[in-house]
Amino acid sequence: MGKEWTLGSRIRRLAAPAVAIAMMALPATAGATTLFGSGSSAEQPILNVLFRAYNRLHPSTRFNYLPDGGNAGVQDVQAGRRLFAVNTRPPLPSDAGTTYFKLFLDGLCVAVNPANSVSGLTITQAKDIFTGVATNWTQIAGSNLTTTIDPVGRNSSAGSYTFFQQAILGGQTQSSNVHPVTSDGLVATAVSKDQNGIGYVGLAHAGKGSGVKTVTLNGVACTQANIKNETYPLFRYIWGVVPTTRASRTVEKFFDWVRTSKQAGQIISRAGAVSAFNKK
Amino acid sequence: MDEDVVLESDRGFSQDQRAELGLGALVFVVVALLVALFVFVLHEAWPSFAHNGIAWFGGGGSVDQQLQAISTSGDLKQAPVYTFHAWPLIWSTIVITLGAVAIAFVSSLFIAVFMVEFAPPWLRRILEPVVRLLASIPSVIYGLAAVLVLVPFIGNHLITQSEKASVTPAIQLSGSSLLAAIVVLTVMIAPIMIAVFADGLRAVPRGWLEGSLALGINQWRTFWKVGVRTARPVLVAGTVLATARALGEAVMVSMVSGGVGFAPNPVDGLIFFFEPSRPLAATIIDFKDELSSPPMKHTLYAIAAVLLFSSAMLSVIGWAAKRPMRRYGVVP
Repeated sequence: MGKEWTLGSRIRRLAAPAVAIAMMALPATAGATTLFGSGSSAEQPILNVLFRAYNRLHPSTRFNYLPDGGNAGVQDVQAGRRLFAVNTRPPLPSDAGTTYFKLFLDGLCVAVNPANSVSGLTITQAKDIFTGVATNWTQIAGSNLTTTIDPVGRNSSAGSYTFFQQAILGGQTQSSNVHPVTSDGLVATAVSKDQNGIGYVGLAHAGKGSGVKTVTLNGVACTQANIKNETYPLFRYIWGVVPTTRASRTVEKFFDWVRTSKQAGQIISRAGAVSAFNKK
Repeated sequence: MDEDVVLESDRGFSQDQRAELGLGALVFVVVALLVALFVFVLHEAWPSFAHNGIAWFGGGGSVDQQLQAISTSGDLKQAPVYTFHAWPLIWSTIVITLGAVAIAFVSSLFIAVFMVEFAPPWLRRILEPVVRLLASIPSVIYGLAAVLVLVPFIGNHLITQSEKASVTPAIQLSGSSLLAAIVVLTVMIAPIMIAVFADGLRAVPRGWLEGSLALGINQWRTFWKVGVRTARPVLVAGTVLATARALGEAVMVSMVSGGVGFAPNPVDGLIFFFEPSRPLAATIIDFKDELSSPPMKHTLYAIAAVLLFSSAMLSVIGWAAKRPMRRYGVVP
């Protein structure tokens, strides 16, 4: 036995299964294109469903999406590291060399605990709560509570944080008594467990079963219809980003499908966002 | 013909020698990787340390606003900002780690002594697998349970309305607090300590204990004075292991500690334990999405370097603490 185990024979023995494994892997990937993308983490749940549906229609197209944040995604596209990005804010001058497409709509809801009788806030009231000016529910008309307000927000690396800061706080930083958490799901959990809580979450995280109650902003409810007709103050477009020159044809086809197809529209609505341009 | 050459060289080593060489090479690779890790982390961390100097470890200003300024400067491609005073994060790390290790040490020692010496055999057969199972539960599960049960309980039942009102709007007593972090961390590291302590106590020679019992000293006193004393090096080793785990625990602590760069103030009395904070490891988790901003990357690596250095120091302290005990013939 010992003599058979020479280095040469050992390498040959190891080489055979290695080649076999490589052969098995080959046919599976032959002819398939993998589209590498990156960007918004807030939209990842919706994108994942879209990727899966598109892959079922076009089995040769696969996706690899890195949720590193919208701004980081655009930088990846500029540097040529990724074929496409998804961002939650409109293009800025620093995005040179990239082209933006509107894909669909999303809304940021302000939500309170169901035990709170407040049904609507003005934008000024929301700003006062999250900048530490209003600290007790007695200062908010319509609330049955007489306790301290417990605002819950996202930490500063979130796209929703920047969006809320721009749209509601007028560029101010949220106050130090806002409890920052790392995901929309944790915001909803914290508000649902604390009757004094109030937080801002994506539309997908404020639906049935989330344990929170959305309130109206300036009298407009946070619903898919109001986001679609752009009357709700906290609506935003979700943008697809590709390089301006030599964009991948396959990526453009995918973005077209997301924007216009009836099927993608249904998927977007079911996943918690709002379709904007899709056929009925 | 090639075969012959190979056979020739093969014959030069016996099978044992080959195994020794192979294992030696593996050890070398592990050590080289470790050195490379230290060099890489320190290299990435250098700009942050170089800019702040010793003030990096001090206090001053809001650490969260500093982190935001660092991150924005990179995203907007402006001149990088590095000003960073990490004291609130360091203080939070110290309080949470020491609190958890102190509680876990006392309880683990008593549980281990009970398990090894006093528990009836049927109970021991249940306790030992349970402790091993607890030690291997992923930390994120403890974090989830804490977010859903412990944090709301503290927020709704232990913290009073007047306590909340007294600190608003500086901070919010939401239940995510030092107390929550210490409690969950204690539950997380205690099983590790119990497992290590029990192994050490079991290794105490029976004859030593029997000698003491034969002199008429009761079982409790015998075990405390002979058993636990003999096992001291193991107690040190287990504590160091658990401290290192507590120091580096990020995901769970990020979920329950409150997430703000605030330094809890002991002068506040009881409220101290309800105050939110964010330790070093949790800071890396919370800001990992901003690694694309170069100054932020260097700052996060600087935090990582401090954690890495602390873990290394813990190992050294553990080794040094065990040395004097060896001289008296106590060998773990």
